[in-house]
This record gives sequence, structure tokens and C-alpha cells, in this order.
Amino acid sequence: MNTTLPQRLIELSLHSLKNVQNQTFQLNQQNVQQTNSLETQTNALQLKPQPIPLKPKREETIVAAVDTSSMKIGETSTGMLIAVRGATIWKQNRYYKYMRLGPFIFHITEENKKELYNTLQTAYFNHQHERTHHGLINLLQMPTRIANLLERWLQTMLSKTVNNSLILFDGSLTSGTPDTPTQVMKEILNTARKRGNSVLAFSKMTNLRVNGHLITEIVPLHKPPYMLETTGLKPRPPIVLLGDVYVARLTTGNYAFRLDIDKEVFSEQKVEAVEKLLGNDLLSQSYPETLRLSHILCTFTANEVIAMQHFIARKYGLKIVNRPDMHRLLFGPFGKGDGNS
Amino acid sequence: MKLYKKEGNIIQILSFPNETVEKGNYLLVEDAEAGKALIVQVIDVQFASIPGILEELLRSLPDGGELIQGEDFDPLEIAPHITYIQDASILICKIRATVENESLSPSSSWLPSRSQSTIRKLSIPTLFKLARIDGRLPIVLGGTKDSSLLTIDASSLDGRLNIITGKKETGKSHLSKLLMLNLIGYKATVVVFDLNGEYISLGMTADGKRNAYHDKTHVLTPSQNFKVALKQLNLHVLLEILIHALHLPGTSAREFRRIWQSLKERDMLNLHELGEAIRNWHCNNHVRDALFSRFYALVNSGFFTDNIAEATFLEECLFKAKEQGGAIIINLRNTSPIDRQIVVEYLLGKLVDLLTSWKLKAVFLFAEEAHIYLRETYWDDIVTRMRHFGIFTTFITNQPDTVRENIYRQADNIFLFNFTNENDLEVVSRAARVDAETVKSIARDLPPHQCLVLGKVVKDFPMVVKVKALDVKTMGETRLFFKEMN
Repeated sequence: MNTTLPQRLIELSLHSLKNVQNQTFQLNQQNVQQTNSLETQTNALQLKPQPIPLKPKREETIVAAVDTSSMKIGETSTGMLIAVRGATIWKQNRYYKYMRLGPFIFHITEENKKELYNTLQTAYFNHQHERTHHGLINLLQMPTRIANLLERWLQTMLSKTVNNSLILFDGSLTSGTPDTPTQVMKEILNTARKRGNSVLAFSKMTNLRVNGHLITEIVPLHKPPYMLETTGLKPRPPIVLLGDVYVARLTTGNYAFRLDIDKEVFSEQKVEAVEKLLGNDLLSQSYPETLRLSHILCTFTANEVIAMQHFIARKYGLKIVNRPDMHRLLFGPFGKGDGNS
Repeated sequence: MKLYKKEGNIIQILSFPNETVEKGNYLLVEDAEAGKALIVQVIDVQFASIPGILEELLRSLPDGGELIQGEDFDPLEIAPHITYIQDASILICKIRATVENESLSPSSSWLPSRSQSTIRKLSIPTLFKLARIDGRLPIVLGGTKDSSLLTIDASSLDGRLNIITGKKETGKSHLSKLLMLNLIGYKATVVVFDLNGEYISLGMTADGKRNAYHDKTHVLTPSQNFKVALKQLNLHVLLEILIHALHLPGTSAREFRRIWQSLKERDMLNLHELGEAIRNWHCNNHVRDALFSRFYALVNSGFFTDNIAEATFLEECLFKAKEQGGAIIINLRNTSPIDRQIVVEYLLGKLVDLLTSWKLKAVFLFAEEAHIYLRETYWDDIVTRMRHFGIFTTFITNQPDTVRENIYRQADNIFLFNFTNENDLEVVSRAARVDAETVKSIARDLPPHQCLVLGKVVKDFPMVVKVKALDVKTMGETRLFFKEMN
């Protein structure tokens, strides 16, 4: 197993923290987990009216999923402290198993953000892919960026490790974004395909609309499980769609998700992959348990955030200061943070 | 440890897993700036309310209740910090005193600095030094949680009302024996109402040899070596027996008084003459029958004799004990309930007589399960009138609700063993020298032979002590059917 990225993550994490010793840091006043949502809307999007009915296929198949999470855990006078963690989970012989990487803690400043991201990207992309937008990265975007790098690495490792399995991604198969270069995503899908794996990407949220309605809210009179195929989705360059987009309603109830399936796979194989998912994983509210667990395992709890703050304070002598929250200070109970301003 | 909250006289302290603090421990919350410190006692240990803890626990059990198997690659080793935070606890502490210029005051009216205060464990010897719990007449009760000895002063039992209580087989009798033997060692006179014959071998070591107390313990068994001659009795004592133990009605009691006075005038106070007098007395037949039935009850008890020589042992023992200290153990094991009451009525009356006439200085009375033989009116008598005469009682019971509430209110010292029943704890917590939270929280978790000591003996600093072993022959063991087989 290639461990280049985690090795680099550790090195950079330790290096960045060394430069922050004995400073003061303020606890993050809005502990919101960073999530990534990047979708491209086109006007020509249509939903095929005829649902594709699905029958659970019990043929024993490994179901594996990847997710990452990032979090800002505090601010220093020069930057911020963030934590990143990733989890791979797989279901085999009716049991779930996991591998969790992290948390990796970074001290990111305006000065080191470029070097840090550059080094990580180099470690992952092996110099062969175009590195873009470094200078444009906003400090606040860094947690998501680093988490995405880790996620791509985990996805690559998973696609190289399992055979004839179902690989579940959190999000879509959209590429061409700064931290998901098309070439990288293509390679992940190619590797997975060559080893007989099927990649299914579930998006918890979507902005794709047909006639003004979200695609996941259009409910045909058909008994689940089924999928609805979309047509006409043409993203603007440099965004590239590497999957066919479906709306999957896999259990009864009003929950449906955008489901991207590798474009290069035959239609029958796509349907079969979802049917194998139905036959091999628990599905609750139309969402696969493996993917849910990968999310649960990498998400930071408040307890873990306190523990990381404790670690930083102990190991690097950072003094926690509690600067007043300006929103609270100015607006009292009405000041609920940036999100509400 | 960090000071977290103060509400009334309860403070909450945040404690981390490497700081081992248990219920009953004392802590010193020191505010150097204010030049003061609080002495607090831990009465409960709870999990700290950590944000996200529920998610953390739920996450570890997502697979139908089974732990999910996996591997964590945690290069920065954050996991120990997570468990460190998860295992943080909140110590619920009761403020016992304030230390200022090395003197103690019971005040809890000031607030130490939350950010600047330092909190450390207060060792029992240091606390004793601060509280000046020392003694010229030390009694070592046993070891405290920090392995130091808990030593009380025998004089803190002098003139006091004490209660030893706890559920069965927790070590109440053991502690009462320890107190008794130490009091004897300081030449005190001790009288024990021994309901189950547990104290009769106090003069023997565990292996059956004579010990240092052998010559100082006197076992008196009613109707065997403990008898009373009518001539020795005061009329009022006998009337107490007849009215309270044998339920003689008022009219009959008046006739009895006349009969008694008539016999006394003629110097004919003996059982035979008393029987004859009742037979020949001019009175209503119902009264005669009532007097006869009580007369036969007295005769059948075997406790009364006409032989003066047989009836001097109690006084001999008491006077001997007065000189060199000693215990008079009234063995009530094979005595019927009515006879028990007769004996107790007699003995208490006799003690009051001896104390009133200053023939005795004072007596420490140990009463096991007193509700069985003590009549209703004696409870108040014991804590008020008899205490002034010099009878200092220690009640020993496993049924705390049988001891009257006013006894708890006036108790000076309480030795509390384990209770799990809420109602029992509720009763004990009515004692004036105790706060209900301490009693309920600490007593519930006491292991056998560990005792929460409350009251004047510990200057109102409740202490948990593991009562030390005694090298005396135990007689309190319950007879078992399956003992041989086990």
C-alpha cells in the first residue's frame, strides 16, 4: 500500500504545529463541520419518466465506502488550527470493518497555506497533474481542500485494493475542480473498473432541478426501489461529469438521492451494481449503511474537538484564550454566528 | 482539578482520570490571593457532562449493539486525549469549613477564585491537625482511605448520645465492642444490654484464651447469676415494672402500693409474704386476680429471690467497675420478652438510684436493638433525664426506623454503616449533626466494616473509616443449617 499521502500529512501536520508553540489560541466560536458541495446546473436537464425498477441481488459482494471530514478547531493570531480525518469502511460477511486515518491537525497561515497544499498535492498527484489555483485558495477553504485531498487518496487506495466490489463515494462524480482534477478521478474510476469494481456516488444534497423542482423531490407513482435516469446534464468546462446521474429511491419513504454511476460501465452493469447494493447492505432512508458509517466514523464530535484542543495545549503549549464572540457581544441572543449574519 | 461551580454549600470540581479522588475524601480549595481556603468533602463522583459524549458512544455501537471492528491510524495519538476527556468526572463536594490564618470556621459564604484557586487532596492527619481532633484518651477506630489512622478522643463519647446503625452484617457490634473495650481501658463503667449473647466472650481472645479485659468483663444472666431481692427494690421501680412491663391497671397498682407499704412496715418484704398478702388483702376479686397474675409473672421470671446473698452480684460488679473500669454485660439471650422488660426496667431504675446517690460516677450504656425491650417513655428519658444523671447511651440497631426521631435529632455521634434502602437512609439523615446528602450518598456505597463517622468525635468532619480488627472471641455469628456442608 502506498502511504505517501498519510506520511506527508503527518510530516506537514507536525511541521505546521511546531511553528505555533507557546502562542495563544482562541476556540472556534462556530464549530461547523466543513462540507463540500460543488454542482453544476444546466438548463437541459430532464428526468426520464419511466423508473428503472430494482430487485435486490443477494450475490455476496463487498460494499466499501469512503468519507472524510474536516474541522476548524481554533484560531491563532496568524492563522487557524484545523483537523482532518478520513474513514474507509467495508461490509464483508455481514460484518462492518473500518480503517480510520487521523485526525491530522494543521496550523494553517497565509504564509504556509500555499506550501502546505502544494506539498500535499505533489505527494498525491505525483507532479504529473496540473496544479492550479494555489494562490487563490482562501484560508477558510483550506480545511475542505485538505480533506478532499485525503478523500481522493483514500478512494484511490480503495479502488486499488478491492476486487468485484461496490465502492461508495460521498458526493458526485464531478471532476475538474481544483482538488478533484479530471485526470485523477478518471484514474480512480479506471482502476476500479479494471478490478471489476463499480463506483456509486451518493450526494446527500443536490441543486439539480427539472422545471424548477429538485430532482430528488420528483416522486413518480412507483413502488421503491427504483432509479430515475437523467438526461441532458452538460456541465460547463472545466467541470466534467464522469458518471451518469440518477435519482435513487431505494426504500419506501420520501427519501431520494442523487446517484452518480461510472459512465464507462454498461447500463446493465449500473443497474446490477445498485441491485447488489440492495442485496448486500442495509438501507435506511434510501441511504446505504456503509456510507452512513463512513460519515459517522470520520465526523468529529464535540468531545474529540475538546480532546484535540487539549492535545494542542499540552503538547505545543498553546494557551487557550476566549476572545468575545463579536456576534454574541453585539447582538446578544440574536447573534448566532456568521451563518445568520 | 478545577473549580467548576458553587451552589449553596455544595461545590462541583472537575477532576481528570489521573487524579484519583473517591467519595469521602477531603480536598483543600486554596485561594492564595484571598488568603483563605475551603475544606470540602467529596460526597459524590459523577461523569462530567462532556459535549458530544452521546455521539461518541453511539458511534462505537452502530452494528446492532456489537462493537464495530476496525483499525485506527492515529499518528498524533489523540485517542488518549479523547478518553482522558471522556473519563473526566465531576466531584460533588460539601463545604465543611473555611481555613483562614490556620483557624477553622464553618463559613461557606465566600467564593474562591475559579481560575486561580488550587485544589489538592487534604490528608486526614493534616485535617485532624487543622480541626484539632486529638485526644488525651485516644481510641483508634481504624484506617481511613488514605491509610492513616482515625483516632478519636474517648472524652468525646463522655456525656454523649451515640447511635451505631447499619444493615445486617456490616460490623455494628464489632465497632460497639471496640468502643466498649477502649472505654474500659480508660476505667469507664460500661453496661451492655446484650440481646443475642454477642458480648459474653469479650474477655477471651479469638483463640479462646483470656485477654486483658477478662477480669473487667462481668456477664450477668438474669435468673442465673443476676437476681434481685424484693428488699433491695424501691417501690417505684417495682411499680414501673408492674405498670410498664406487666401492664398492671392503675386501680390494682394502688392496691399493690398499699400491700407493699404494709409489708415494708412489718419488714416482711419477700416473695412468700407478698403472695400471702395479696391472697388475704381485702379488695375487689378482679384486683386480686390482676395482682396475682403479675405476682406469678414476677415469680416465674426467676429474676426475684428472697436470698439476699444471691442478689448482690450486680452492685459488686458495678462497684468493681467503678474502681478499675469494667463492663457489665446483661445477657438477655435466653430471656423471654416480658422478663427482658422486667430486667431492663429494674436495671435502669437501679442505675438511676446509684447515680443519684453518687455511688456511681457515670455509666456508658450500650443498648442493642433497644426497641425490643425499651418501653416508649424511656426513649425521651434516656436522652434527657438519664443523661443528666450520668447514663450515656449508645444505641445499636439495624432498623433505624425503630429509634425515635428525637433520638436522632439529639444524637451527638453517629457511626453509620452501609444502608442501601432509601427509607433507612432517610431516617438517619434526620439527625441534626448530619446533612442528608452526605448520609445518602456515602453510606449507600460503604463496604462492610467501613463506617461513616459523624458528629462531635470527628468535630463534624464526616470520616469514612475501616474499623480495625479486634482480638476477641466473636459470638455474634448466626447459626447456619448448611454450615457443615459449605
